[in-house]
Amino acid sequence: MATQALTTTVRRRGRALAGTGGRTAALFLVPFFAVFAIAMIAPVIYSLVLSFHSQQKSGLGFGEAKTVFVGLENYVQVFQSETFVEGIARLGLYCLIYIPCMVGGAVAFALLLDATVAKARKLFQLLVFLPHAVPGVIAALIWAYLYTPGISPLVQALQGGGIQINFLDSHMVLPSIVNIGVWEWTGYNVIILFTALQAVPREILEAARVDGAGEIRAAVSIKFPLILPALSVIMLFTIIGTLQLFTEPSIISKATASVTSTWVPNLWAYDAAFIRHNLNQAAAASIIIAGLAAVLSLAVTRLSSRMNKS
Amino acid sequence: MKRRHLFAGVAGLAASTLLLAACGTGPTPAAAPTPTEDPSGSITFWSSLAGMDKVAEAFNASQDKIKVSFETIPNGANGGYAKLSTAITAGNGPDVATIEYPQLPQFVSNSQVIPLDGLINKAETVDKLTDETKALVQFGEKTYALPYDAAPMLMWYRQDMLAKAGVEVPTTWDEFEQAGKKLKAVAPDSYLASFNPNEVAASAGLAWQAGAKWFGTEGDSWKVGVNDEATQKVATYWQKLIDQKIVKVTQAYSDEWSLDLANSTVVGVLGANWSATGIQKRTEASGQKGQWIAAEMPTWGNESGAFYGGSSFNVTKSSKNPAAAAKFVEFLTTNQDAIKARGNTGSAFLAFPGLTPVAQKAYDASYFGNDIYEVFTKAYGTITPGWQWGPNWDITNTALKDAYGKLTTGGTIHDAVDTAQDATVAGLKQAGLAVKE
Repeated sequence: MATQALTTTVRRRGRALAGTGGRTAALFLVPFFAVFAIAMIAPVIYSLVLSFHSQQKSGLGFGEAKTVFVGLENYVQVFQSETFVEGIARLGLYCLIYIPCMVGGAVAFALLLDATVAKARKLFQLLVFLPHAVPGVIAALIWAYLYTPGISPLVQALQGGGIQINFLDSHMVLPSIVNIGVWEWTGYNVIILFTALQAVPREILEAARVDGAGEIRAAVSIKFPLILPALSVIMLFTIIGTLQLFTEPSIISKATASVTSTWVPNLWAYDAAFIRHNLNQAAAASIIIAGLAAVLSLAVTRLSSRMNKS
Repeated sequence: MKRRHLFAGVAGLAASTLLLAACGTGPTPAAAPTPTEDPSGSITFWSSLAGMDKVAEAFNASQDKIKVSFETIPNGANGGYAKLSTAITAGNGPDVATIEYPQLPQFVSNSQVIPLDGLINKAETVDKLTDETKALVQFGEKTYALPYDAAPMLMWYRQDMLAKAGVEVPTTWDEFEQAGKKLKAVAPDSYLASFNPNEVAASAGLAWQAGAKWFGTEGDSWKVGVNDEATQKVATYWQKLIDQKIVKVTQAYSDEWSLDLANSTVVGVLGANWSATGIQKRTEASGQKGQWIAAEMPTWGNESGAFYGGSSFNVTKSSKNPAAAAKFVEFLTTNQDAIKARGNTGSAFLAFPGLTPVAQKAYDASYFGNDIYEVFTKAYGTITPGWQWGPNWDITNTALKDAYGKLTTGGTIHDAVDTAQDATVAGLKQAGLAVKE
């Protein structure tokens, strides 16, 4: 009897607990999913719908436009657009220069920081992080000033040293924008990597030292492999962030004609939506950019999980 | 963990890029405009023009039936049209908007502004305009805007630098080139003017003056001629000026451009009547008072000219009170009090007869070395007839601006106009319009 009573209460309590758990979870999750649905899912679905339609006019175009279903035509037009493809290629080139420079720089800085004496660490950490505290728009404005010939003290100093360089001509402008990105983001990633380095077990490093490894050997053979997971997270965020490149080129475009209004895919989408008034094409371009981000992110996660396993 | 990151990242990107495209909603049909003798109510007014807040105030003070609330928006180059167009499409645009002539047809074509016929007193407004200004606001027999300023394209020069080079104010483009060469002889680092890739309307003006017709209609289809014969002539000429370093390629209004004017690197400005305040602001501190003069644009031999810039006022489709809005548009464009209220905000040259003297009186032109309004009036009298703006100026604008990006690394104006022609034709066809090349 007693045991039976006990088991029922336990069962009841268990059921009750499960019930409250579900309700509590729902209570906490509903606000998130509500906002997520309105601000994320709905626009995505709306964009998908937009991307399969087109506003068609006829004759001179002075009349109401008709919305017609065009299937994949917008996507075809986006891919056929020379400027969009050029933008993708340019973004690829940007990644090729930017990612090694920024990530390489961040790893080097983090390892250096880890190797310095404790007192100097805090100071250098702050100094390295400082550029990231400057908002992206302001950073781009400052660099635009530093790049403009005739105004920039930098260009002037280089000229004084006999170096003629136009940071804003159509060949140099890409590396110039890469430089802004590197300046802005290296410090941020140094902090992430440095935190990962702090978690490296000290006994392993001591063991290495006992075995005769110097600072450099320890950094390359012990610390670096142990921060690889953090590095793959950084790669992921960097790739996604790079695909969203918009602010810097759009600010620099005010200072030079070398940055066109369709310079990178995101600018292309903006131009399509708000300058050429073709929302449907803009939607298609946005879906393509999002798809590209998904594919690249997947590739990076696959690659890094394989590397972590081996 | 990683999956979550991946998802959050991708979703974040998707949202940021998609939101761009997703904020337009279906059009809300405007109430059929009904002419009201005595409209009343509240309306909103958007403009990027200087002094318009004071004009709205003056209108509110002059009567108590219609109350105008004014909002400053960015100018076209800084996203003003993107804001306006998106707001109208979403149904929360202003009642009265400010649109420049090149952009007006695309707002008409997108049905974002409504015809003013029946809302305005035609005999007292449109009928008093010249044919050239009427052509800027009428499409298919309907009037879609009332013109505010009529901006004749001009050259501004530093007269001291012309004197130093030993030349008179050039009257033909040939003389302009010679003047540039002579300037180079006495001041090797100076340029006679700048060529501005971001001011495509100026390129259009130069072509317009030479008799080009970038847009026209033939029956029920558009005819696009961004690289027509007259434009080719202009392109060849300006390429020659760039190659000889007589003009410098810089973005107008950039820091570099401003500095070049201030330190006498560039001694001329291809502009219009409205350039005066910009020139004064950038050169006053360098002691150039009295040195700048306005002059008619050099010509190709016979008297000719073009409009460069200028704005119109319109009633948008999202207006719930078009009658009151139209009343205010009439005030803005034809009433002397509207001009007086602006005060000393710029050297305006207005389309409606009788208003320019009011603007002239309000503007302090003492900075300049000659009677600039006399030059404006002369230039206004020589506009080459027959120009029309196309149904989506921004396609051409963007394409040409972008193609000009290669000018500093070996590209030519010729290639640029060819690119812009192809892009314009392709863009219009994509929108379903009939185009003849």
